[in-house]
Amino acid sequence: MGIIDTLRLGFGEVFSLQPMLIPWIKVVVPIPFNILMCLVGAVLGTLIGVLPGIGPVATIAMLLPITFNLNPTGALIMLAGIYYGAQYGGSTTAILVNLPGESSSVVTCLDGYQMARRGRAGPALATAAIGSFFAGCVATLIIAVAAPPLAEVALKFGPAEYFSLMVLGLVAAVVLAHGSLIKAIAMVILGLLLGIIGTDVNSGVLRFTFDIPELSDGIGFVVVAMGMFGTAEIISNLEQGESREIFTAKVSHLFPTKEDWKRMWAPILRGTALGSALGILPGGGALLASFGAYTLEKKVSRYSHEFGKGAIEGVAAPESANNAGAQTSFIPMLTLGIPSNAVMALMIGALMIQGIAPGPQVMNEKPQLFWGLIASMWVGNLMLVVLNLPMIGMWIKLLTVPYRYLFPSILVFMAIGVYSLSNNAFDVLIMAVFGVLGYICVKLECEPAPMILGFILGPLMEENLRRAMLLSRGDATVFLTKPISAGFIIAAAILLVIVSLPALRKKREEVFVEE
Amino acid sequence: MRATLAALLAAAASFFPSCVPAQSWPARPVHLVVPYAAGGPVDVSARLVGARLQAALGQPVVVENKTGAGGNIAADFVAKSAPDGYTLVMGAIATHAINPALYPKFPYDPVRDFRHVALVVQVPNVLVVNNDLPVKDVRQLIAYLKENPGKLDFASGSTGSTGHLAGELFKQMTGTYMVHIPYKGSSPAVLDLLAGRVQLMFDNLASALPNIQSGRVRALAVTTPRRSAFLPELPTLDESGLKGFDMTTWWGLMAPAKTPEAVVERLSAETLKAMDDPEVKEKLRAMGSETPTVRSPAAFTAFVEKELKTYAPLVKRSGASAD
Repeated sequence: MGIIDTLRLGFGEVFSLQPMLIPWIKVVVPIPFNILMCLVGAVLGTLIGVLPGIGPVATIAMLLPITFNLNPTGALIMLAGIYYGAQYGGSTTAILVNLPGESSSVVTCLDGYQMARRGRAGPALATAAIGSFFAGCVATLIIAVAAPPLAEVALKFGPAEYFSLMVLGLVAAVVLAHGSLIKAIAMVILGLLLGIIGTDVNSGVLRFTFDIPELSDGIGFVVVAMGMFGTAEIISNLEQGESREIFTAKVSHLFPTKEDWKRMWAPILRGTALGSALGILPGGGALLASFGAYTLEKKVSRYSHEFGKGAIEGVAAPESANNAGAQTSFIPMLTLGIPSNAVMALMIGALMIQGIAPGPQVMNEKPQLFWGLIASMWVGNLMLVVLNLPMIGMWIKLLTVPYRYLFPSILVFMAIGVYSLSNNAFDVLIMAVFGVLGYICVKLECEPAPMILGFILGPLMEENLRRAMLLSRGDATVFLTKPISAGFIIAAAILLVIVSLPALRKKREEVFVEE
Repeated sequence: MRATLAALLAAAASFFPSCVPAQSWPARPVHLVVPYAAGGPVDVSARLVGARLQAALGQPVVVENKTGAGGNIAADFVAKSAPDGYTLVMGAIATHAINPALYPKFPYDPVRDFRHVALVVQVPNVLVVNNDLPVKDVRQLIAYLKENPGKLDFASGSTGSTGHLAGELFKQMTGTYMVHIPYKGSSPAVLDLLAGRVQLMFDNLASALPNIQSGRVRALAVTTPRRSAFLPELPTLDESGLKGFDMTTWWGLMAPAKTPEAVVERLSAETLKAMDDPEVKEKLRAMGSETPTVRSPAAFTAFVEKELKTYAPLVKRSGASAD
């Protein structure tokens, strides 16, 4: 089958009419069921994306029983819609209240919130939606055209390659910070140390768990992100009384200006490319996409001095990257039956409930399901941008809600969301602890973003380093003899040199002084 | 709605005339705690059975995923819950046979703190090798391992998982050596197996089956004493010279220890009925499950006791420990 035929099959499935019995009038009516499921998924996804802490994993888990009675294609289309819809919604909370609605929108807080503080919440939200839409369309096209060969690329990534990629990421983490270099490094190390908590993968030994069983799987990423960004932000806002309300007074226009458009297209393209590439990797690639895109933009942009103070590039690039990554992370699941994250694992569960064994045979045995899902992603992205752009005005109104009403509701949603991760109140407690830590960091002018990145990378790095060493029987040269791995190591070395070059360091200090 | 409920309860009561508490149970929703993440095989089977129980009991059966500490948090939570039949757990080979030997300061007794209601799923593990490995059966694999000691790696979903323990048992029974490579879950392990970075894996049948059928990996044997209905041509390890090799992943419904006898009986009967439903049976089969032969609470308790005795020494010998 050529690509045109398969897409025709896919769109045919998405727009197909299915006879449904309407219970209360007892008449069978053909309704476009799959497209409705797509809409339900997109709307629901946007909603839970906006709600801090409540993520697609908990939502999809709650909806799994409903999928019992749906047709497999409709069920999968809806669940997928929730996942990428959440990527759209997540940026809204990040921009308006400096709270990552989703784990992938942590970086969007950095510049998105600063834009909002300058009265540019509208353009920031629009940029996020437009970037996400573009990235979603491109990534969906990539899945349709090249999913099977890209899955082979994913197979090329072994422990050595992952480790070297993480090294590159870690070096980039330092670039991520805009204040003091020493503080950035300290925060990265703090993140790495926190990442050590839990069970050692190799020996099964419990580390720093203090006999608390809840700590034996480590601390959840969402818990840390919610505490460090959300709770800490609330504490420091309350300290300032009601002064937050001023930022609505400055709202000038809702949509990006001509200047904004000129500045955002290149970051959107770069973010899409990077996000699509990293999303394919099942070992935590998608999560790195937004961090990677932000760092890249900060290095290449002419406006790098504006980063951290409301640069539109700092919203456009990571938002495009996280949506592209969200779409391409379907590739390992669809082609190999291997889930690259918790959401994909749930999708596989949804298939199993339907009695379909996930794996490479799905594409051939159930082409309607496979291509229908892919076509639905394109339709879903279109729905999301249509839904989200008109809503910007409404979201801006949210800023006029007095903070004394806003913050308790945010806290409640955060607590519900964090609790729902593993149905355990312990996580809520940990979030509170990180809230205090986050507040201390705000006071010390230490940024949480490098810490979060260290926290994500640390465990992945250790796991892959030790696995690579086990596989090579202790021969450390594997990192340089494997070409992909060597490429990352060399890139990391170059980046390290650039960061430590005197001339550039001086420039960095100037940036610091300006603040 | 209320009328149907009352009718259902009345019907239930007349069906079990001897048991008084069953008349009032269940009067509110029943919580079925799953120790693992939503979407996994334990969760999916809990939801399948839970939906049938809900219809039979006339009360909602709410599946709740309480993850952490290899399932111990959920099992411990249910062990210490009120024994009133409203809190149940899907206890598994990990929480009730392997973990007690694996974790220090183990919080509950897998036998005495529970009523074992019904064994729901038994899934074989299957020995799969990467296609590039020049062995076609278990005998050739053993010969290859003896010629190339320490050359091969076997992957598993985690230290102390059935995949790990099966590998250790295999090494011990054949007197061979290969390196254990633990992963965080079986998905990344399968990925490295497909890519040929590791050569062997004792994967559970459900997750291995699609790759076996599409020819991406080669299956050599199942770890159960009997052949699997899915791959009837595939020999068991027992047949292949490893006499007595038996490692079957299982999970089943359990309640806190002092749950009333009548409630346990009713739950057991309804669960078995649900499992015999052709549709549920078909879906459990799609996950690689064989229909369990253990079909009463007493037999299930005996089964758990036997499993505990089997795994404790195996865990100790494997060197895996979480202390």
